[in-house]
Amino acid sequence: MATLPTPLSAPSAPHSDEVVIRAVGLTKVFQDFWGRPKARAVDNVDFEVRRGEVFGLLGPNGSGKSTTIKMLLGLLYPTKGQVTVFGASPRDVKTKARIGYLPEESYLYRYLTPGETLDFFGNLFALDSDDRKKRTEQLIEMVGLGNARTRTVGEFSKGMQRRIGLAQALINDPDLIILDEPTAGLDPLGCREIKDLIRTLAKRGKTVILSSHLLADVEDVCDRVVIYYGGKIQAQGTLKELLAAPDEVRITSPVLSRETTEKVLQILRAEVGDTVRLENPTQNLENYFLGVVERARAQSTSGATSGNSVAAFIKGGAEAGASQSDKVLDRLTKPSAAAAAATGPIPAVTAPAPKVDVAKLAALTKADESAPPATVEPAKTTTETPKPADLSKANEKLSGLLGGKKP
Amino acid sequence: MQPLFAVARLTLKAAFRYRLVLVLMALLLGAVIALPMIIKHDGSALGFTQILITYTLSAITTLLGFATLWLACGSLAREVEDFSMQLVCTKPVPRWQIWLGKWVGIMALNLLLLAVSGTAVYFLLLAKANGLSAEQQKVLQDEVLVARKSAREAVPNIEPDVERLYQERIKQQAVAALNDRDFVRKQIREQIKASRQYIRPGQGRRWILSLGPDAATRLKDQTLYVRVHYITTEYAATGVTYEFGWEVGPPEGHTRQRLQNSFAPESFTTFAIEPNHIAPDGTVTVDMFNLNDKPVLLPLEDGLEVLYREGGFALNFARGLGIIFCWLGLLCAIGLFTASKMQFNVAAFVSLAILIVGTSSGTLKQVVEQGGVIGVGTEDGVVTQKSLVNQASVVVYGNLRWLIEQVAGFNPVDSLSTGRSITWGQLATAFVVVVGLAGGVFMVAGIWIFTRRELAAPQ
Repeated sequence: MATLPTPLSAPSAPHSDEVVIRAVGLTKVFQDFWGRPKARAVDNVDFEVRRGEVFGLLGPNGSGKSTTIKMLLGLLYPTKGQVTVFGASPRDVKTKARIGYLPEESYLYRYLTPGETLDFFGNLFALDSDDRKKRTEQLIEMVGLGNARTRTVGEFSKGMQRRIGLAQALINDPDLIILDEPTAGLDPLGCREIKDLIRTLAKRGKTVILSSHLLADVEDVCDRVVIYYGGKIQAQGTLKELLAAPDEVRITSPVLSRETTEKVLQILRAEVGDTVRLENPTQNLENYFLGVVERARAQSTSGATSGNSVAAFIKGGAEAGASQSDKVLDRLTKPSAAAAAATGPIPAVTAPAPKVDVAKLAALTKADESAPPATVEPAKTTTETPKPADLSKANEKLSGLLGGKKP
Repeated sequence: MQPLFAVARLTLKAAFRYRLVLVLMALLLGAVIALPMIIKHDGSALGFTQILITYTLSAITTLLGFATLWLACGSLAREVEDFSMQLVCTKPVPRWQIWLGKWVGIMALNLLLLAVSGTAVYFLLLAKANGLSAEQQKVLQDEVLVARKSAREAVPNIEPDVERLYQERIKQQAVAALNDRDFVRKQIREQIKASRQYIRPGQGRRWILSLGPDAATRLKDQTLYVRVHYITTEYAATGVTYEFGWEVGPPEGHTRQRLQNSFAPESFTTFAIEPNHIAPDGTVTVDMFNLNDKPVLLPLEDGLEVLYREGGFALNFARGLGIIFCWLGLLCAIGLFTASKMQFNVAAFVSLAILIVGTSSGTLKQVVEQGGVIGVGTEDGVVTQKSLVNQASVVVYGNLRWLIEQVAGFNPVDSLSTGRSITWGQLATAFVVVVGLAGGVFMVAGIWIFTRRELAAPQ
């Protein structure tokens, strides 16, 4: 059976009680030229982010996400309330030394090459020459811009600019990484790499703030989220708390014979009536796309390539644990695994084997093979992150949290 | 300071990558090469060289001055507008280092451009000089391509005399109203001054000027130059000259040099004195005789001076460029100051406005003299009512005027074109006054504004 790159699941890094960010009554009112209030972008917001968390900021355009991020970075000053990062003001230079920031657009110097860009930002962190060179090399390789070293950032596509933007955000091996729409403009391969990277960072105890419109991105990697609307927090909590559907269960198993399936269905229908559904799970488009691309990787390109392994200085201690997510990028670079990923039937997207008594199910299904397909939902069998196939549900739920508005 | 120099290098790199350096270099060298072909002069090698120095250095200063203002405004304001400054400011760099890094970067660019264009001017002058006859070359070497120091009489303090005469007038009750008193003082001052500057027909005046204690040996066999200008009491038509007699050397000596010459009023004239007329104590005595039937006035401040060689031209020229560099430092600070808060186009406009106000110190002088800005009398032009605004404006305008006068006091172009020495002391003073004091005001204000600015606020 073919194996796919391991699907993402919410990071399970050990979280600490250390509060990295604390916002209390945070308010930002923009004023006009005469000092009159013009817009209340953020309104009395409270939240805390702890070390090792991947924290998502969700909300429609103009809801206050970016304003909040810019207050966290000291680029805007709160009108009321208080925000502290690592217990100090965001404007404190020592605080900034521990932060990496990827802005929503490319705010990079168009006339610099990737190497010059990283060298410049390395200098701003007062890194010594050897360290800068080493990190620059590793980061350029990591973000897949090894073939574009001599080109200037101005010649880059949007996706390539995001990649070098991400590299500059990591040059100081930050403790807090703030990513504003990190996957905007990236191809699916790049999106996946960034999400893998976020998980790697979280496993190292790094704190990640992720602001995105793409609910799938947030859902894939975030531990906790806040949902903004109209400058206020409408909901916050872990994804489990926000997205759990306690009145449904799902069973995932290898392919069963028709008879076994029918028998299982009969038992289930006897219990819950006709609300049972049976379907063949499909891999999501992202996984399928990754498989196709990996097969084509042998061909060279002058632009961005798929990223390689995470830079050594960023992996740090997390490498020792040989975490699954760290291996993703490695696997992506192996043609054999990639080729296999794109072929063969795929029974399920979720990785762990189902805790279903297969032998018993097979015996039950011998009787009748003509029953219509249905979905079987045994209780407490899978607890992984909802599959991409369920994204529509997640979207609906999040929309509900936003008061019926589509995020 | 690593981040500061990183910002400076980035600023310099931007100028190269956007080909600004090439364009400016071409413009500067074009001006240096083209100007000698089109300038008009009096036909003498001396006049041509003086005008060449004046025009080329003025052109370089003007071009680099505007380029510096434009670059300083653009470098900071545009980076704020295109958001790249936001990314830089999220890094652990104090904003004063970013601001100063920009200043250092632009000044490094100025140093490069000034060095290249200055070297071009220098070698152009040498090339032109080499094409002249030996006699003309000698004149150039003695009067322009040289660093000459000036010896002048100290301006006498006439204030005690002014006060004494004024008190006498009061006793005589010649001063009626209180408001007239300042006017009377001014009149007395002018009277005393005129009496000391006045040389009647057939009379003379003596100057005893010190060239330094070891001047007799230091300047042995060196030609000295007398630079003089006078004012007539009557209107003198163009082409009219006055005749003067001169005696130079120790008064009791038998080898005094005597000469007679004539020249036009209200313009500076320089003539040579034979060597070795310096007394053992280092002084040179110059006697002037008015050979005309009309009186003349020699201003106390700059009526007459003796110029003598102090050093070579090359180093003097370099020091002159150093003072121009200081001016550019001030302009750079002004540009960055305005860009600390404003958008590029507004910042450029305001910078130019500051420059115009700075160069027109007449208004400032007027405000200080009339005693304010509100309630100025239509007849006497003096403020009668005392108000806080008037008092504040006199203080502000007075200080501003003082600062501008200090800055404008350094004029290397005039010094270089007349072969005057620019000392290391003058260069150091220029740096302190122009960059440290005047530039410092804009630097402190600019950094303060930039540090407080919300960079992500809507523009």
